[in-house]
Amino acid sequence: MKPEYVDLVQWDKVRNQIDSDFGAGVTKRLLGTLVPVSLPRAKGISFYLVPSGWLQILDRDFKPFTPLSLGMWLGDFVDGMFRLSLPALERVQEYTSNRLIVSRRGAESFTYGRSILKESVIKIEPSLLRGQRVFILNESSECLGLAALSVDAYKIGRLAKDRLVAKNLVDIGWYIRRLG
Amino acid sequence: MANGSDRILIGKEQRKRAKEIAKQYGYLPYMIERYVALWGEQEAIQFLKACEQPIKKSIRLNTLRASAEETLSRLKAKGVRLKKVSWLDTGYFADFSHISPGSLLEHMRGFYYVQGVPSMTVAEALSPQPDSLVVDMAAAPGGKTTHMAQIMNDSGVIVSIEQDRLRTASLESNIHRCGVTNSIVLRGDSRKLDQLGIAPDYILLDAPCSGEGLIALDPSRKRSKSMADIRYCATKQDMLLDAAITSLAPGGTLVYSTCSIAPEENEFVIDDLLKRRPETKIVPINIEFGIPAYPNPYGVELHESLTLARRFLPHKHNLEGFFICRIEKEESS
Repeated sequence: MKPEYVDLVQWDKVRNQIDSDFGAGVTKRLLGTLVPVSLPRAKGISFYLVPSGWLQILDRDFKPFTPLSLGMWLGDFVDGMFRLSLPALERVQEYTSNRLIVSRRGAESFTYGRSILKESVIKIEPSLLRGQRVFILNESSECLGLAALSVDAYKIGRLAKDRLVAKNLVDIGWYIRRLG
Repeated sequence: MANGSDRILIGKEQRKRAKEIAKQYGYLPYMIERYVALWGEQEAIQFLKACEQPIKKSIRLNTLRASAEETLSRLKAKGVRLKKVSWLDTGYFADFSHISPGSLLEHMRGFYYVQGVPSMTVAEALSPQPDSLVVDMAAAPGGKTTHMAQIMNDSGVIVSIEQDRLRTASLESNIHRCGVTNSIVLRGDSRKLDQLGIAPDYILLDAPCSGEGLIALDPSRKRSKSMADIRYCATKQDMLLDAAITSLAPGGTLVYSTCSIAPEENEFVIDDLLKRRPETKIVPINIEFGIPAYPNPYGVELHESLTLARRFLPHKHNLEGFFICRIEKEESS
């Protein structure tokens, strides 16, 4: 297993998914001068962005070592779905208006892996629709992770305070929980 | 390799006394015999007492994620009391009181890394230049890789190697959390580094060791390792050093460190390296900390340049025991 140049068909799928979730051209802005490379996994493929100057290093055979990650982790393609990584999320959120700002209590709860309830919602872009990916931000506009809206944003005002608004997909508490 | 403790000759009375002290403090007798031979009884007892004291918590501010000023102000606002470590740019003693240091948002966002002061000192002792090629030979859980990335302003390349499958998960996690993007993580045995075909400008070898400097953090270490374990570690350290020196670019720099106070894993290992690999020499570390390493532990005369290496000792610095040595490979080699 070694890093490979990305397969163009697969890369198209990744790009389409990022752009459809967060807006046209987001992938291009994320890439900048970096180059996407992939690492095959037991399940699926991981994508990374590396400086073009690294391609020389990546051409070598890493034996007897096994490469596990390199550069900026963009995300993983598993079961036909691309999931953006936590490090990439923070960068992507700069380029999109898909944002849900939550209260201090909601933010804390979200970083423990919980989802967002109506009572935690401070502000959301009203045009967002059910199923859309939204970045969860605290009141200081710090990105805490990604969630899927479970209701159209313009309907949130009608919900009871304990109703689910956005389902947690990934949050920065994962860094800590992952280590047990 | 003959190591120091093979050369310790102590009398029957001293052995009996060492046994008494060992019983009193809960250690294996061979350890006390070595401490008394190394320091004398009075200092050995100071060491044993220091190992009963807790080590102060410390953090490194990660300037790849936030400015030092921002992190300091946020932590102070949350009631964390901070005191700068005088010889480190971003190291602070941190009293979190009853807050868990890992539970704060600033930690999740990678604004700081909970790390021992001697561990932070290791990366600063190497101080890799931006845009260079660096290898971290025993990289998990990632404290030193992420610190070096910070020193290099996330430029160049750090090849971070770890053999243990589970520990690579923590290494990757910390690299991502700290916003490091100049690292390539490899799983494998660093003793085979020379097969990778690279010539790094810098190598950091924080070698797997017996952990004899961590007794204050892990009291089970008082009885968990035998002299054979220390010899096993020393043999592995020799092999890792050989692979490092073979790979290192001519004129390149290596920092060798362990969290052990055992001369058998430190001074003796480096002395053997200097004899085995004449293209290497010990060079001064450009920051002031700790005390000089020992040029004649247990009364055995070793290379005099070992005084350029440094030690942290629990009874002198209220920190974990550590050994740090900066080595250069000759330009013409």
